[in-house]
Amino acid sequence: MSTPDQPQNPNGDQYPVDPFRKPDETQPPAAPQYGAPQPPSPYGAPQPPQYGAPQYPAPQYGAPQYPAGQYGAPQYGAPQYGGPPPQSYLVWAILVTVFCCLPLGIASIVFASQVNSKFAAGDYAGAAASSQKAKQFAIWGAVAGVVVGIIWGVLVGIGGGMSGSSSSGI
Amino acid sequence: MAAPDEASTLVGRAAAPRLSRVAGPAAVAAAATGVLVLLARVDPSRPGHYPTCPFLFLTGMYCPGCGSLRALHDLTQLDVAGAWGMNPLLVLTLPVVVAAWIGWTVRTARGRPRSLVVPARAINGFLVLVLVFWVARNIPALAPWLAP
Repeated sequence: MSTPDQPQNPNGDQYPVDPFRKPDETQPPAAPQYGAPQPPSPYGAPQPPQYGAPQYPAPQYGAPQYPAGQYGAPQYGAPQYGGPPPQSYLVWAILVTVFCCLPLGIASIVFASQVNSKFAAGDYAGAAASSQKAKQFAIWGAVAGVVVGIIWGVLVGIGGGMSGSSSSGI
Repeated sequence: MAAPDEASTLVGRAAAPRLSRVAGPAAVAAAATGVLVLLARVDPSRPGHYPTCPFLFLTGMYCPGCGSLRALHDLTQLDVAGAWGMNPLLVLTLPVVVAAWIGWTVRTARGRPRSLVVPARAINGFLVLVLVFWVARNIPALAPWLAP
């Protein structure tokens, strides 16, 4: 799939006209790590930028975006590039929303969206946290649906009149 | 050195039969088939067989999922128009769910990790669609088309 909302080359216009752009303050000075182990990027993520090389990798689908102006500073300790994205539980959120009749599914959709937006922005920790929340809301929605069904079954078993008064809303 | 462990793990993973890897999708398919068989045999349009939507029961208003059981029942009878009349949101989202299941099955059968990330903009668009549908189907003027 294409990514119409993402520029294909975010640095292509910026780099040539701004050759004196300062490196990020938080990054160590550019240090070419010849022979240093490169972070694995097996799933189409862009390679770590080489020293002084223009950054022309086309952003892959869902790959982390590199900020402009980083001259090959290796980010040790940063999360692994190109790892599988965290589970967004989007399908579970949809199922809970459509079948369990509860706003918990809506909340799960919101967090599923956060998972993918944060992952696309490179916020891996935030994406993982949103993934956990999306999972929890989906589970709570499913559990709530089952509990409501059990309560309904008990009420019907005891009273037997409720079912006749209201048709199935689901 | 962890080489022997890695080697044995790789060998074990490669030697794992493909059927065992798709146990999850197969279980989901079995459960979905069971639900569809139940819905085909027991009509949710007749009261007394399925729980009432708690949101509808408490507020008297329809939620985005109201009518989805009846829509699924209509789909088991190959009545797409009837299903659309019960819950168009379900008819729209069901192909997406089925496609997600197919993608999950293929991916796990090949032993590949998750790599597809749905754009957040698309998810937000779906969220807006659900919320608009929630409100619109409770508007009396639109109820003939959107309410179950």
